[in-house]
Amino acid sequence: MKFILMMTGKMADWDEYMKWSKEDLQRNVTFMRAFSRELKDSGVFVATEGLAAPGEAKIVRAGKDGEPITDGVFPESKEFLAGYWIIDVESPEQAYKIAARASTAPGPGGKPGGMPIEVRQVLSGHADLGL
Amino acid sequence: MKYILLMTGMTVGVESYLAWSQKDRDAHMAVLQRITRELTASGEFVATQGLAVPQEAKVVRGEQGGMPVTDGVFPESKEFLLGYWIVDVATPERAYAIAGRISAAPGPGGVPTNVPIEVRGFASYPEVASSSSEEITRGAKRI
Repeated sequence: MKFILMMTGKMADWDEYMKWSKEDLQRNVTFMRAFSRELKDSGVFVATEGLAAPGEAKIVRAGKDGEPITDGVFPESKEFLAGYWIIDVESPEQAYKIAARASTAPGPGGKPGGMPIEVRQVLSGHADLGL
Repeated sequence: MKYILLMTGMTVGVESYLAWSQKDRDAHMAVLQRITRELTASGEFVATQGLAVPQEAKVVRGEQGGMPVTDGVFPESKEFLLGYWIVDVATPERAYAIAGRISAAPGPGGVPTNVPIEVRGFASYPEVASSSSEEITRGAKRI
């Protein structure tokens, strides 16, 4: 079963992250590197991506003439996707366990961040929706 | 330049999608599949993925000892990721144009869904200059 583990954050969270000390960033990077290596070594790794800060984010809708209409104004409460991992595991419980580990990534001062990780199954086809 | 196009929706929107007629769903999926084929032909396609319905979503936080603590209760207003496309395009405007086409895919009765598509770039954090770019990307994902 494939699952996506997503980190999200509000604009204010990015502002905070930009203020982390180099030491804190380095510690976090080291954790993430080891985490990805563990996923690969255990054969569950499928993909990972980190997204840019949401300052440049746009929402696009189709206009009447088919031209894209873009909007870059968001409520402060909006949760932006920060990054994700896709893993291929035997059970949801295994996905939760891996997500919990991602959640313990160190934050400022080396304390576990306790970041919430959203876990969702990904579809191998439209039929997975039960339609 | 790589961009990710994110389709999001609230639970109520997903429920309404599940109630569409088969014909409407087929017409919708046919357009999305055509867009993917065209992006593949133009060399702009990188990846696409649909997510399962959010009713099964869980939020996990680690605790002492790394045991997972899961929660499956969300506010009605929560935007869930429904699916995404990753494209490699020459300009941001091209990414917006592709997002506009996805937004224009037909819904019930052939009327465009006009679903909002969030367009985002990928991380590069030069302030951690001593790390390799791969490490930086991974570190950046923390937030």
